[in-house]
Amino acid sequence: MGQHDTFDAIIAGSGHNGLTTACYLARAGLRVLVVEKNDWIGGAAVSRSLHDGWTYSNCSYVCSLLRREIIRDLELPRFGLQVIPYEGGATFTREGDYFAYYSDHDALNRELARQNPRDVDAYERFSQAVMRQCRFIRPFLLRTAPDPTSLKPRDLSELLYLVKKANDLGARELGETQRFWTMSIADFLDEHFESDLVKAHIAGGGIIGTGLGVYSPGTAYVLLHHYMGDVDGTIGAWGFARGGMGSITQALAASFESSGGTIVTGSGIDQFLTKGGKVTGVALENGDVYHASVVASNMDVRRTFINHTAESDLPSEFVTAVKRFKTRGSSGKINVSLDRFPTFPAAPDGARFLSGDMHCSTSLQELEKAYDDWKVGRWSQEPYFDMLIPTQIDPTMAPPGKHMMTVFVQYAPYDLEVDGVRSPDNWNETQRQAFATCVFDKMEQACPGIRDHILHAEVRSPYELEQEVGLTEGNIFQGELTFDQLLFNRPVPGYAQYRTPIDGMYLVGSSTHPGGGVMGAPGANAAREILRDVGKGQAMPVYTD
Amino acid sequence: MSNTTQNFDAVIIGGGHNGLTAATTLARKGHSVCVLERSSVLGGMMSVGGAEAPSFTSRLAHLLYNLNPKVERELGLRLNARNLTTVSLAPNGEHVEIDGGKARMMDGALHPKAVAFATLQTRLQRFATLLSRLSLRTPPKLSGSWTDPETFGELMGLAGIGLGLKGMGKVEMREFLRALLTNVHDLMVDDLDDGPLAGAMAADAVRGSFSGPKAPGTLFSLLYRLGNGANLRAPVGGMASAVAAFEDAAARAGCVIKRQSAVRSVLVQGDRVHGVELDDGTVIHAKAVLSSIGPQATINLAGIQHFDVEIARRAKNLRAKGTAGKLNLLLKARPEFSGLPAPLHQARLLIAPSSDYVEHAFNPVKYGSFSEAPTLEILLPNAHTPETPQTLSAVVGYMPHDPPGGWTDALRTKAERQIMAVLEAYAPGIGDRVQHSELLTPTDIQTETGAAGGHWHHGEMGIDQILNVRPINGMAHYQCGVEGLYLCGASAHPGGDINGAPGRNSALQALKDGAL
Amino acid sequence: MTDTSAARTLEEAVPLGLIPTVFQPRLEALSSAKSWMGWAGYQSAVVIENMEFEYFAIRNQSTLFDVSPMHKYRIQGPDAEAMLNRMMTRDVRKIRPGRVGYTLWCDEEGMVIDDGTLFRFGPDDFRLCCQERMLGWVLDAAWGFDVQVTDESDTISGLSLQGPTSFSILKDAGLDAAAALKPFDLAEIEPGLWISRTGFTGDLGYELWMKNADGLALWDRLWDAARDWGLKAIGFEALNLARIEAGFIAAQVDFQPIHSTLRLGRGRTPLELGFERLVDFEKDHFNGRRALLQQRQKGLRTHLVKIELGGFKPSNGALLYHRKTKEVGHVTSGAWSPTTKRNIALAELKAPYGGQVQDDLWAEIYVHEEGQWDRRLVPVTVQTSPFFSHPRARATPPRPF
Repeated sequence: MGQHDTFDAIIAGSGHNGLTTACYLARAGLRVLVVEKNDWIGGAAVSRSLHDGWTYSNCSYVCSLLRREIIRDLELPRFGLQVIPYEGGATFTREGDYFAYYSDHDALNRELARQNPRDVDAYERFSQAVMRQCRFIRPFLLRTAPDPTSLKPRDLSELLYLVKKANDLGARELGETQRFWTMSIADFLDEHFESDLVKAHIAGGGIIGTGLGVYSPGTAYVLLHHYMGDVDGTIGAWGFARGGMGSITQALAASFESSGGTIVTGSGIDQFLTKGGKVTGVALENGDVYHASVVASNMDVRRTFINHTAESDLPSEFVTAVKRFKTRGSSGKINVSLDRFPTFPAAPDGARFLSGDMHCSTSLQELEKAYDDWKVGRWSQEPYFDMLIPTQIDPTMAPPGKHMMTVFVQYAPYDLEVDGVRSPDNWNETQRQAFATCVFDKMEQACPGIRDHILHAEVRSPYELEQEVGLTEGNIFQGELTFDQLLFNRPVPGYAQYRTPIDGMYLVGSSTHPGGGVMGAPGANAAREILRDVGKGQAMPVYTD
Repeated sequence: MSNTTQNFDAVIIGGGHNGLTAATTLARKGHSVCVLERSSVLGGMMSVGGAEAPSFTSRLAHLLYNLNPKVERELGLRLNARNLTTVSLAPNGEHVEIDGGKARMMDGALHPKAVAFATLQTRLQRFATLLSRLSLRTPPKLSGSWTDPETFGELMGLAGIGLGLKGMGKVEMREFLRALLTNVHDLMVDDLDDGPLAGAMAADAVRGSFSGPKAPGTLFSLLYRLGNGANLRAPVGGMASAVAAFEDAAARAGCVIKRQSAVRSVLVQGDRVHGVELDDGTVIHAKAVLSSIGPQATINLAGIQHFDVEIARRAKNLRAKGTAGKLNLLLKARPEFSGLPAPLHQARLLIAPSSDYVEHAFNPVKYGSFSEAPTLEILLPNAHTPETPQTLSAVVGYMPHDPPGGWTDALRTKAERQIMAVLEAYAPGIGDRVQHSELLTPTDIQTETGAAGGHWHHGEMGIDQILNVRPINGMAHYQCGVEGLYLCGASAHPGGDINGAPGRNSALQALKDGAL
Repeated sequence: MTDTSAARTLEEAVPLGLIPTVFQPRLEALSSAKSWMGWAGYQSAVVIENMEFEYFAIRNQSTLFDVSPMHKYRIQGPDAEAMLNRMMTRDVRKIRPGRVGYTLWCDEEGMVIDDGTLFRFGPDDFRLCCQERMLGWVLDAAWGFDVQVTDESDTISGLSLQGPTSFSILKDAGLDAAAALKPFDLAEIEPGLWISRTGFTGDLGYELWMKNADGLALWDRLWDAARDWGLKAIGFEALNLARIEAGFIAAQVDFQPIHSTLRLGRGRTPLELGFERLVDFEKDHFNGRRALLQQRQKGLRTHLVKIELGGFKPSNGALLYHRKTKEVGHVTSGAWSPTTKRNIALAELKAPYGGQVQDDLWAEIYVHEEGQWDRRLVPVTVQTSPFFSHPRARATPPRPF
């Protein structure tokens, strides 16, 4: 029999949301324990040193969405977090041309005009529409979604807040908002732009991490998840966390420990313990048992309740709803260490746009076809990828002169189809290599001969993501961001306010509102609800728009 | 009155069922109404084509399943139709008969998921009925402040729906709010497993749409389809008889109906309509013009200078890529579907053996090509008699509206061969019985009916194109910019199918505005 | 319509940052201040030597300002008049060939997209000059009309020659045919050189338009002719002061062009900007007409007005109060007017202030003096006519100085 101890609150999982919740609870004076199955912390916001001298952001890889309120509340800069904006981005064509996203406004205009003279104004109109939607949605990120079936004053007032915000838009803007939230990114772009290349460059944001195609309704909203963040108030800007994404969770952990919190690594949850419908603690796989009257799970809703909770503790409709919650994995990741900076023959010498996100998908149709492959259980034959070389900006991640490249690939299935059978077990080394080959072949468009400069590469399918990080089916958002799984429907209608059917047990991960991305908002919102329930609601800061 | 100028209170452009409904609604309130139909026959999507067309009694649409009962009542439609059940065909012969919420196998045994299906069907029907309350009113404008009487009234209307929701109880209300925006594939497969039963629901949800069952929002289109009780009715004598019923109602109400009267332009002066001018130069004066041909075509008739740039832009962007085609066969003998008992040949037959099959059929149309394994909704109108010739009427999904290079004869032949191959697999020998065949592509449907993109619903029924943004943002209240000009076709709220509500609602809106 | 489908060829990478106009070599040589700003991607002078002397040259001698970065769209074809009449709030039919009209255009809600000048070369031939990039909008507005739209922004250069001696310079440069030009007249004085009697200063002045290739030669020709007339090249700051005196509004300053606003309710209608006279409700439909009619009925939300303030300190950004307590608006452009010796400004007030209510208005001006901030409340009076207006600006033929 192992360790026994009692805490005020236990957080299962040390991802950025779990740690965010943990920090807020510890700061409110609770004795908080975080348990982590891996020997390292961070969930999907990690920096791993798999080879000496190299740092891999081997899951999430760029930062924008982490709420500035959270960064300030938890004093993350004091604990080592530095977010550096990056600029640029490009999509390379087969013919040796490219579209470059210059941060220089005038150069961007000229580049858009080079693609198509109409697209300069189109980009302005597109940006205005997207930024208006960002302004609309941002205040909701750090609010708990109202339960529309409830008559409680708080739910009614939140619902009224939502209705008022919508009504403030006026008839035309309300109509545009309805359309934006429900239409496909491809239709939205088709309404604005002429150039296929420009459309393809932007459209990626609508499908990253998503089991939908660019022509699927709802993907315009997914795009918003890539525009609604900010770096120092510049909405839509993206940055690198110096030292890799792990520095976010490292800073959170340091902040947490400075408030007296405890982190135990190396053993995952075996079972959430309950008694009489109330949570009592957790039993770990190594036999250790910890007790607390508040237990919060950073794991996704399916892993939490299907794998680690006794089904008898849960209402059957709840179990059905949890099983129905869609967590389809659709993304792979290849992390590459390079012995030199790769050559991009199309780009001008020293082009700064190479420090941004680079792609090789050149039309919406090509992107849609990539989705068709995934639907039947195969990785895309012409995959979309989001490729960055952070070592151009962050010197800490590779030995001098060498470079780290992160390649996020859409689409890769969780249950890979081989010989007519779909199963995650089909992901073996051969398949992983074949998948990587497919990606590197496509990459020749941008940087031919890149293979010659690879020192080592880490290939991760949704299956590896599930095995290592614990994301069910490797879904990076802990659940699809489709509109039946957003707001008061996330993760389960009636349980969208971080509470669960088990008294004292909470969900704090991206399975909850407002969803995925390294945002921290679910963790912060959950902390607010937990603190209310333990009578310390006033310890949570109140945010204004 | 001169030969070339005439006066009416209202002119209706287009003699489809919505145009006729609008006309009848106005005429029954005592107004003089003239319906102008471009072709030699009425009916629009229900049309059987002109004299040059072969004699199929249901050349395009072949079923009534979503006709608004209030419209039917108000118009006094004298319809003679028989109710149908559905059989979802399976390649292995394990067909499923679907009758309302009942699902049986061919031997009469319950489908293994019959209970789950019944529950699901009941629930969907309840949701659909609630939603259909929205279909008989103009969508809310919500343009004023809370205290503005019109806005307040609209909010109260919505609150009524909200109360209806509350009345369902928390569990059902939550399920409603989740399911409303979900995709039909997941909802079916979660409860029914994928097979002919799920396939039938999936196919019904997306028929005519530019979307596969996995696309978010597709459950809504199924709910729309179920909005009026989902009774499948096949008019006796084919759609021709239904067209006749609409025409009869219009005539009884005193409408003047002019065929072969194509409108050249809508006359506008001082931001107000004054009537229309026909191709032959005839001018018909009217205080109101109701157009069933969709926003883009209506704008063009009136002159784009009378519309705001944004409106024109949105009309241009209206999503209306038709995907449904129609195959009509004249057969030497009654076709025989394998494993299908003779009486069930009179049912609606679906070839949509799984939701995945439907999704797969959708893929090629995204790139302008044609499904090798299309979905089919088949009727055998003469199956009750051995008399010949027999006919087969099939709605085909999915066919592209604009294949690269257009619908050439070669492509048409290829498409027809592929459809026949699918039919042959379910009804061996059918190919040898074909005397005459006619394949109508979405392009043909556009040419014949004027529906934008040849779209079954005159515009995609996506969540981004319904209610207060149907057909486009800023034109969702039937009013079409210029005073006295209205949209009354399926592109307007609530939308497509042989439904009638768009026609009725637009007529009532015109009356409410005092346009006549 | 412009053909945008032409196949692209591989090109050099686009230049970064600001690029020079045709006149930049001359401006660069004259500039001692080396003070530049970006204007539509072009390098543009803020000040050439000294803002004050540049300003006085506008009102006393003559000045040259490079207006080449202005966006210019050529609209030609049988439907050009009809298309523009649907786009513009004023009646374009009343702008005859050989005339220029100041005009505004709105979105569907009646909010101003931009203002600009419309040059009519012939019955079917127009050029629209404006501050904001407008190609997409013009093309959308042209859709369905038989017109050809050409973006001339990068191919046509422009010089604004403004000041009491400006005609004398033209005359000495051999361009005396410009003598016949009345305000807002436009003529091709020499092949390829169009001169309009227009400007942004409220003074006598001309704008000269030519192909890029002809630009430097014209510059040198004017400069040679100007020896006795005190010509100065000027930057934006001097011009801005002159335009406030003339009571002209500037986009992004006195109003926010609706296509670039992110926040709700930031757009303004022509009625709110005080341009009812440029909104012709009698003509056929134009963009935003129905919304503007509704607003005229319901009432305006704000008034943009010219005001005069007490004290001597420029009032830029000052908040305005009614009865010294209720905040009712703010100054959008404020300046001490060196010519009229008045403290002047354009200001936006919430209705009914600035409209029916004009009394007891105050401005709160913060003054920074050597490390100390001082807050002053000064009285405000609403003005109806331009602060600066001089008969020489209107005399035809123009006087020599």
